[in-house]
Amino acid sequence: MFKIIIENELRAILYSPKFVATFATCSLLMLLSVFVGIQEYRASVRQYEASLSLADQQLQEASSYSGVNMRTYRAPDPMQVFVSGVQNDIGRFSDINASEALKLTNSVYSDDPIFAIFRFIDFTFIVQVVLSLFAILFTFDAINGERERGTLKLIFSNAVSRAEYVLSKSIGAWLGLLAPLAIPVLLSLMLVSLFKIQLQPEHWMRLAILLAAAVLFFTFFVFLGVLISTLTRHSSVSFMLLLVSWVALVLIVPRAAVMAAGQIVPVPSIAEIEGREDGFAKSQWRTYEQQLAKRWQQRNGEMAGLSPADRQAYRDEHLWQWMEQDDAARTEIQEEINAFRTKLNEDLRNRKAELQRSAFTLSRLSPASAFQLTAMNLAGTNIDLKSRYEDSMASYRSELIAYGRRKQKESGTTGGIRITIDSEAGLNISTGRDKGTLDFSDMPRFQPPRRSLAQATAPAVVDLGLLALYSLLALAGAFVRFLRYDVR
Amino acid sequence: MQDTNVMLEARSLSKRYEDSVLALNEVSFTVEKGEIFAMLGANGAGKTTTINIFFNFIEPSAGEARVDGIVTHKDPLAAKQRLAFVSENVMLYPNFTAIQNLDFFSRLGGRKDYSRSDYHEVLLRVGLQEEAHDKKLRGFSKGMRQKCGIAVAILKDAPAILLDEPTSGLDPKAGFEFMQLLDTLRNEGKAILMSTHDIFRAKEVADSIGIMREGRLVMQKSGAELAAENLENLYLEYMAGKTVEA
Ligand SMILES: Nc1ncnc2c1ncn2[C@@H]1O[C@H](COP(=O)(O)OP(=O)(O)OP(=O)(O)O)[C@@H](O)[C@H]1O
Ligand SMILES: [Mg+2]
Repeated sequence: MFKIIIENELRAILYSPKFVATFATCSLLMLLSVFVGIQEYRASVRQYEASLSLADQQLQEASSYSGVNMRTYRAPDPMQVFVSGVQNDIGRFSDINASEALKLTNSVYSDDPIFAIFRFIDFTFIVQVVLSLFAILFTFDAINGERERGTLKLIFSNAVSRAEYVLSKSIGAWLGLLAPLAIPVLLSLMLVSLFKIQLQPEHWMRLAILLAAAVLFFTFFVFLGVLISTLTRHSSVSFMLLLVSWVALVLIVPRAAVMAAGQIVPVPSIAEIEGREDGFAKSQWRTYEQQLAKRWQQRNGEMAGLSPADRQAYRDEHLWQWMEQDDAARTEIQEEINAFRTKLNEDLRNRKAELQRSAFTLSRLSPASAFQLTAMNLAGTNIDLKSRYEDSMASYRSELIAYGRRKQKESGTTGGIRITIDSEAGLNISTGRDKGTLDFSDMPRFQPPRRSLAQATAPAVVDLGLLALYSLLALAGAFVRFLRYDVR
Repeated sequence: MQDTNVMLEARSLSKRYEDSVLALNEVSFTVEKGEIFAMLGANGAGKTTTINIFFNFIEPSAGEARVDGIVTHKDPLAAKQRLAFVSENVMLYPNFTAIQNLDFFSRLGGRKDYSRSDYHEVLLRVGLQEEAHDKKLRGFSKGMRQKCGIAVAILKDAPAILLDEPTSGLDPKAGFEFMQLLDTLRNEGKAILMSTHDIFRAKEVADSIGIMREGRLVMQKSGAELAAENLENLYLEYMAGKTVEA
């Protein structure tokens, strides 16, 4: 019986007039997005390689060890072909040198704002938005459409059990929609190898998990369609309901989750932080001034009974000490202020991290978010991408600075113009060494941050579980509901 | 039950819908193998409700329907194995051809041994022209779909056939051929329960006729008894409020 109903469902899908059109659109879109993704990726690989040789060239021209500026690029990752994530939003490179703080700049979207308007459509987007709609389009009338057509009655005039029917119908719809989608996915993967994108076994693992997540996500919408078609008598109603659910799940819940998290975990604004910083600094300086005034009062008090000449002598004698005293107090205050600032910033970072965590947790109520988050985690184009690079660039910067100092000490020269005043030799001006004579062969090179497969896939386990759970719930709902469905 | 020839039986069937319409009120009748029982009655009299109970699409509020002795709402699957169904407005799958529709429903009905030629044969038997056999049902007229529905019922080859206004939508010639078809099915030993508004055809073909009004079976007579009577007048009388004769 299972087989008959599943076969029939497959045939119904394949023979449906809307199938060819929608399937062709989905396939084309998928191939197109992977193609564009591949082009983007290749462009960034070229740029990355160019930047490496450019760096060598710059080193040739460097005139000192400590003045080196290494423009360091983010390393492209082939997974970005499928999941662009935040990768186009954050800066592509940072100058790394001793004098400036590092800052990732020149994101794809800031260089070419036109792309920011329409955003790149990647595989994840297609699964998340297009395929979920595709699933709805074919399942919204799975049950109630049969009822409206009268075929449900005719089916149940036979010795068919309801449980068997609703299960085989759901599985049939699932297979019928999923199997054809394997074609564009395989073609996309072929495209990737055709363009000689190097994929390591580890990438294939991540891709496999990504595909598994996509399948589960798609499964949820197939079963949701079946569920809602068992909850309603008319297909026009179930279509409306499904569209509303789709908008809620794909568009609203993720954003609402972020807003709700903002309510639960208040994060002070930058202005607020600056205000508090300012307030603290002002009050500290006021205290400092009061203490300073008090000290001078005291000092004047000590000189109260003295004659002007003695007073002058006393002052000359103590002035240095007093200045040191005041200086120490000032430094202390400054340090307190700095400590406070650090604490505020740390606090802000913690709160932001907590906000992020709660927002992501809440948004996982929507399978669309669960899928998106897990896709980005797998591809490494997730929200941590920026901090991951900033951290490893920061440690590279310290390495570079330490290297510069060490080399300078070894070679005994500083770069640029060196002015020394010596009591015997007098004024001495010397320039750094000639260009190209510096030896950078042992200079540390930037190592892009590594994420192990485990790090990339660990969060996916939760999301895959959630997606499976949501799908099962939808299927169970459809099952329970159909046992009591009025087939007339 | 003592009579092993009884295939379909309604025993004091009553059905009250949720909105408290008493659609069936203590309806009892039997249909034997090789017998055609025609139910007449105004719209809303309860004919479809009766048939729905036999298929367990709805459960009776009181009484029971039996198929070959099996109480339908207790063991619906076993009962339905013995029943074939023709609804009043057959739709089937519009994107499938007639043959594909037949194939699906036959296999669902437990018959996996049919070949294409069997399907063609049955379709010709119900009067569907050959060139339509491999066309999608989307373009079919109501009568053509009805013929396919009847073919589905024949192919199931169940001992009992329940038909809800099967002749609606059939042209006069098809209607006539349909009656002949019913006749041969009866001669094969099928028990046939049919609801209809077609008094003349009913009288022509049925072995037994019941008239329903407001959920009650107000008259039941055999064909022989009716042979001498004017069924149309009788029908109108009963519709006007005549009650069951002693
Ligand atoms: N699902 C339902 N809910 C409530 N009442 C119903 C339902 N189906 C039928 N009825 C009522 O039950 C009564 C019998 O309806 P039924 O469909 O059995 O009549 P019928 O004899 O088949 O009429 P027709 O000749 O128009 O097909 C009617 O009064 C109808 O309004
Ligand atoms: Mg009816």
